[in-house]
Amino acid sequence: MPRLHLPWRLLRFALLSLLLVAAGFTFYLDFRVRSEFEGRRFALPARIYARPLELHAGLKVPLPDIVDELKDEGYREGRQESGDGWFYRSGDELEIAVRPFVFWDGPQPARKLHVAFDGKAVASVKDADGKSLSLARLEPMAIGGIYPANNEDRVLVRLSEVPKPLIDTLIATEDRNFYTHHGFDLRGIARAAWSTVRGAGTQGGSTLTQQLVKNFFLTPERTLTRKGTELVMAVLLEAHYDKNEILETYLNEIYLGQDRDRAIHGVGLAALHYFGKTVDHLTLAESALLVGMVKGPAVYDPYRHPQRALERRNLVLRETRERGAITMQDYAAARAAPLGVNARNAMGTSPHPAFLELVHRQLRREYDENDLRSEGLRIFTTLDPRVQGKAESVLARRLAQFDKEKRFGSPGLEGAVVVTDSQTGEVEALVGGRDVKFRGFNRALDAARPVGSLLKPAIYLTALSEPSRYTLVTRLDDNPFVWKSNGAPDWEPANYDKKFHGEVPLRTALAQSYNVATARLGTDLGLDRVFGTIKRLGIEREMKPYASTLLGAIDLSPFEVAQMYQTIASGGFRTPLRAIREVTTQDGKPLKRYAIAVEPAFPPEPMYLITAAMQGVVREGTGQALKNWIPPDTAVAGKTGTTDEQRDAWFAGFTGDRLAVVWVGYDDNRAAHLSGAASALPVWGEMMSALGTEPLALPKPDGIEQVLIDPASGLRADSGCPGATELPFVQGSAPAERAPCATSVGIVVEQVKQRAKSWLERLFGR
Amino acid sequence: MRILAALAALAIAGCAAVVPSPPPPGSAPAPAPEAAPPSSRTENPAVAGLLDAARADVASGRLVNAAASLERALRIEPRNPRLWAELARVRFKQGDYAQAESTARRSNSWAGSDSALRAENWRLIAQSREARGDGEGARTALEQAERQR
Repeated sequence: MPRLHLPWRLLRFALLSLLLVAAGFTFYLDFRVRSEFEGRRFALPARIYARPLELHAGLKVPLPDIVDELKDEGYREGRQESGDGWFYRSGDELEIAVRPFVFWDGPQPARKLHVAFDGKAVASVKDADGKSLSLARLEPMAIGGIYPANNEDRVLVRLSEVPKPLIDTLIATEDRNFYTHHGFDLRGIARAAWSTVRGAGTQGGSTLTQQLVKNFFLTPERTLTRKGTELVMAVLLEAHYDKNEILETYLNEIYLGQDRDRAIHGVGLAALHYFGKTVDHLTLAESALLVGMVKGPAVYDPYRHPQRALERRNLVLRETRERGAITMQDYAAARAAPLGVNARNAMGTSPHPAFLELVHRQLRREYDENDLRSEGLRIFTTLDPRVQGKAESVLARRLAQFDKEKRFGSPGLEGAVVVTDSQTGEVEALVGGRDVKFRGFNRALDAARPVGSLLKPAIYLTALSEPSRYTLVTRLDDNPFVWKSNGAPDWEPANYDKKFHGEVPLRTALAQSYNVATARLGTDLGLDRVFGTIKRLGIEREMKPYASTLLGAIDLSPFEVAQMYQTIASGGFRTPLRAIREVTTQDGKPLKRYAIAVEPAFPPEPMYLITAAMQGVVREGTGQALKNWIPPDTAVAGKTGTTDEQRDAWFAGFTGDRLAVVWVGYDDNRAAHLSGAASALPVWGEMMSALGTEPLALPKPDGIEQVLIDPASGLRADSGCPGATELPFVQGSAPAERAPCATSVGIVVEQVKQRAKSWLERLFGR
Repeated sequence: MRILAALAALAIAGCAAVVPSPPPPGSAPAPAPEAAPPSSRTENPAVAGLLDAARADVASGRLVNAAASLERALRIEPRNPRLWAELARVRFKQGDYAQAESTARRSNSWAGSDSALRAENWRLIAQSREARGDGEGARTALEQAERQR
């Protein structure tokens, strides 16, 4: 063997090394292509749904509210020959073509409903054949998701679901030789170059495979190395996978626009986003519009540049026609069709980010953040879009009005609202500020502010739990009061009206929110006992052991206040506030249900008394203005709250079916010069009145009796006493002494009546 | 005769106590919240349908579904003590004895004069306490059940 010359050996060595490096790099790319593509798991956001609307005869929701909700869900108005997702209104009737939906407890097919209304309520629900339905569930509104990095959102589709026109237009426009090339396409590149030269280019030179590789594996720089890598990987991808797999992945990966901060990926989500339909229902014209957007989703955005988008769509149609993939008739019809996109309903990652944050926090206790952002979990929540909508609009309108009246300049007043179902503890709405789309400071959850008089019911509840000492008519002392304790400055509480009121009945002290009488009562009871009550009502936060805490020098968020009042609204049963009902996997397999949980925290009798006293607040006390919105026979139980210099204004209260807490104030803690009654209460009243209220009727516990009382003396009255009023007492705790106005005969008659009444009650049932 | 009239008046008074009526204008309104007559039997076909579905689910062992149907019904009629009682039974069958007791007590808070339902709830409370090893508490609950008539 002849010896090679040195330069030759060097060259051979260099070549070999280069080959080795190239082989190694290719091997590495091959590994990446296979491992990443094999897993091929798109990160799917957890999808979050509102509560489904359950229609039944007697449901107290008026027709316009249901129409609003259908529109928000992308239902089109007007009867259509086929398909679903539309409604038709005629007079007092609605015809709804309900979309199919997979609920946590199973799938529900598409169906047609006929809903008749009777004034402010649903009168009947029937199916397409006129058969009466006892209950019909609409599919729930999607209210956002918990998104992977870059807020990528997508709905996965199978290739078999994608209609042929979509594939035809895509291939005609983006990669004519897709089915024959091996990852790259010299003819395509040549044609692209030629049409660029001609100035009539519609195509880039990249194959679908290259585009996929670029989006899937590579960063978007434009260098020669990257182009080479892309080419090699495309060839490798083609070597390992068949065309259909590559096409399906492409269709799910492709970026097709932006909805505020949410990125629309894949034809599945694009079909829903732009046309409100599933991908299999796309027409030729609609398909061509989406395919046209591949080249530049921002440039050809059908909302912002409808004319440009239309021209692009028609160009796509022409290319497809030229390729013979569609008939002349289809082409002509599609060209003549309007853009046909949904009314723009920009939602971004969520229309209700404040509520979503609550959901996210409750989920984070049990799920890994990564799983939430990638596993496509389906989360069914308690949000009631109707309640949420009213809460948002009333708060925004009222705050704007207060700002105008106050002329305090910007930043303006802020506010927060929490609405729950008073019996089940489900959170129906949560508003974190006046700009509801703002994903930032969530005042409903995170603005801990002094609660002022909202704490008073806890003090009075503590007192009423001791019926031998305190009843609704017990005289409290509202004369000047100084509280001395070691190591703390003397505390001299004052009343809101800067006056003292002498001896006042307990119920009046609460109704008028007298600070001095309350402070004296609280210190008589003992701070520890009052704090114990507050804890049992559901407040977990540590409280400072100062007497001033009694008058609300404790910071709570509106959500915490709602939790506290929930226990009172549900008759002494602590009911954790819940925002989630069920969680399922992506394909509908149930993972978890969050059930109603109740825990008896207080005996029913003192609860009955404190509720009666809180009804007094609204009937004749600081909450009287509520009558401007809510009829008195609703018997709302509530409490106003105003802190020093009116920095914080509160109203918390409940009807027979809902509980709501409203806070109004400035973020920077400026004095707002608005009392709870003047600002938070109107928001509460207007919102609740718009929702329709159920009267508050508590069950009377066994241990409660009604006794006629003379308001002047606070003593037992009879029919001879003018203005006598019946008040509830724990049995045996009512005053024995009779009022001066009561005759002895009258008292005896009263007593006999009471006894006979309870005897009859027992005999016949109530 | 007078006595009869008085008795009749008393009977009417007794009945009046169960009907919540808005106070006549001008008079001092009754401050106490008065309960609507509790009805264990629902008039609402939606609730009746859900109750039937829940019972069928219980019979075939689908307890989670049964609980879900009952909660759907409770969203429509949160003050129906029968629904809370059925939910308490499902909780008991699920082995959640603490919730079974709490939920049965919630039912009792709305049960009013339905002594049969109250007795039923107290018996379930007794069983729940028994299951948690609280024999003493179970006995007290059974005594309560006996007293409901």
